[in-house]
Amino acid sequence: MLAAQGLVKRYGARRALDGFDLTVQAGEIVGLIGHNGAGKTTFVEAVTGVVRPDEGQVSVGGVDARRDPRGARRQIGVAPQALALYISATAGENLRLFAALAGLHGRAQHQAVARVAEEMQLTGVLGQRAGLLSGGQQRRTQAAAALIGDAPLLLLDEPTAGADPQTRAALLEAVRARAARGAAVLYTTHYLPELTDLGATLAVARSGRIIARGSQQSLLSGLPGELRLRFADGSETGRFALPAAIRARATAVDGELRISSTDPPADLAALLAAGCSPAAVDVRRPGLDDLYNSLALEAPDAAA
Amino acid sequence: MLLHDTAIPRPRVTWRPATPTAWRGSMSRIGAIVRHNTILLLREPGPLASRLILPLAFLALLHPLYQAAQGHDAGARQAVIATLVTFSLLGLSIVGGSILTERMWRTWGRLRMTALRPAELLAGKAVPVLAAMLAQQAMVIGFGVGVLGLHVASLALLMAALLAWTLALIGMGAAIGVLARSLAELSVIFDVGGMILSSLGGALVPLTAMPGWVRHIAPASPGYWAVSVLHAALSGDAVGTVRASAVLLGFGLACGVFAAVRADRGAVRTASM
Repeated sequence: MLAAQGLVKRYGARRALDGFDLTVQAGEIVGLIGHNGAGKTTFVEAVTGVVRPDEGQVSVGGVDARRDPRGARRQIGVAPQALALYISATAGENLRLFAALAGLHGRAQHQAVARVAEEMQLTGVLGQRAGLLSGGQQRRTQAAAALIGDAPLLLLDEPTAGADPQTRAALLEAVRARAARGAAVLYTTHYLPELTDLGATLAVARSGRIIARGSQQSLLSGLPGELRLRFADGSETGRFALPAAIRARATAVDGELRISSTDPPADLAALLAAGCSPAAVDVRRPGLDDLYNSLALEAPDAAA
Repeated sequence: MLLHDTAIPRPRVTWRPATPTAWRGSMSRIGAIVRHNTILLLREPGPLASRLILPLAFLALLHPLYQAAQGHDAGARQAVIATLVTFSLLGLSIVGGSILTERMWRTWGRLRMTALRPAELLAGKAVPVLAAMLAQQAMVIGFGVGVLGLHVASLALLMAALLAWTLALIGMGAAIGVLARSLAELSVIFDVGGMILSSLGGALVPLTAMPGWVRHIAPASPGYWAVSVLHAALSGDAVGTVRASAVLLGFGLACGVFAAVRADRGAVRTASM
């Protein structure tokens, strides 16, 4: 549904996109993660044609977005990172505008507004001015405007930034439902547990390019977990000699011994064989935070 | 660390994009923007009401001055033209302010992420303003005819002249709206631009009463052509009306194209208070 290859966007000497490759299939939710300035928002803007890439190709549903940006946009529902609502218009008027721009009129428009308002828990505030809504309601209105046209490609750029749990839950449920019906979803966020909830595949951006792409399971499988050991005498090491192969990966923190490990059972067996007798052992599996830290945050120079 | 996993699930594609005809689609999108901007314009009716009422007050108070200086008929004509040109400049602020507000709300950039063309967006925003400005001008002309005894030689020429001037104003307003970066900057542009358009064009004081150098540079001001087209239309001069209308439409077209191109290049996405 979305295919981008080799996208480059320069702002003077800085490259906001530097060979950005990404594909999103119909029915797939892709979580695009990366630190601020990694190129996530610029990529969304390049797909929608708001910024023009200097190099590379991007297509939406087979339509070349550089040659026919409006043809591509017709297939996209987008929730930009920054709030973009007509604050003197009501929530309902905001939704009706974007429904009309998505080609919905008359009865179909009325039904679409009612449906998406219910889905995003906005039914009671459709008559209120957007500027008077709470932050969470504004976020949901913005997301509803993206969802209202039932577009085959959804670009949701940090749609839950600063949102309350109710907003987050409503949006995640709506995104899952759209994907189940065949929509391709690109979801950028800094709230990594959301991606687990969505069952998203991952794309990690750094310095304007994708540096890792795959299922959560496959990307996490290469990351070390952690063995955490506590000892009955309260010491951090249990007063035994750590095997040399493990010592380099061990740190003592808050009265426990923490060992970074890609194979916790093997390391634990080695420790027991070396005479270690812990009172408690905890095996911590790697999570998305670890993936994010190991990949995205390695590039502090790219933050902008 | 570089990881790639090619084993991504590929579910079935269930959607096909809708393909309405280009013309119908374009009209539909413009209609949506017109409706929405009419709602926004009427939601805060104060500025619009003041722009409709103030010209009549201005005309009622100042027409004796013009008629004392130029005689009954010529004075009534100059008073009406001065009011039309000076207060229609306020319409400029509606267009420019409307675009700048969208940029501050970030809705301009949001609309650019839809299938809207920049020209459709500008056209959709222009229609409600066009209606408001034509209503303002109709009220001024009506007051002039009914109260001051203004003679209109050709209603058709006058309507053509008003339409040309209004379209020029909308084009200029759009250009200002995409250029200004803040409300303060917009205010400065209106103050300076308003003075140039109305004074330099000979709307408030006839050019014959102004210094020679002003008469030489006056044709550079759209206000000069607005005064010319209105004089020509009111006196039934078809050639003069067409000529001045063509110049005004040229001004408006150039500004409108500039605004559309600048909008299409994404140079006007946001603005500050």
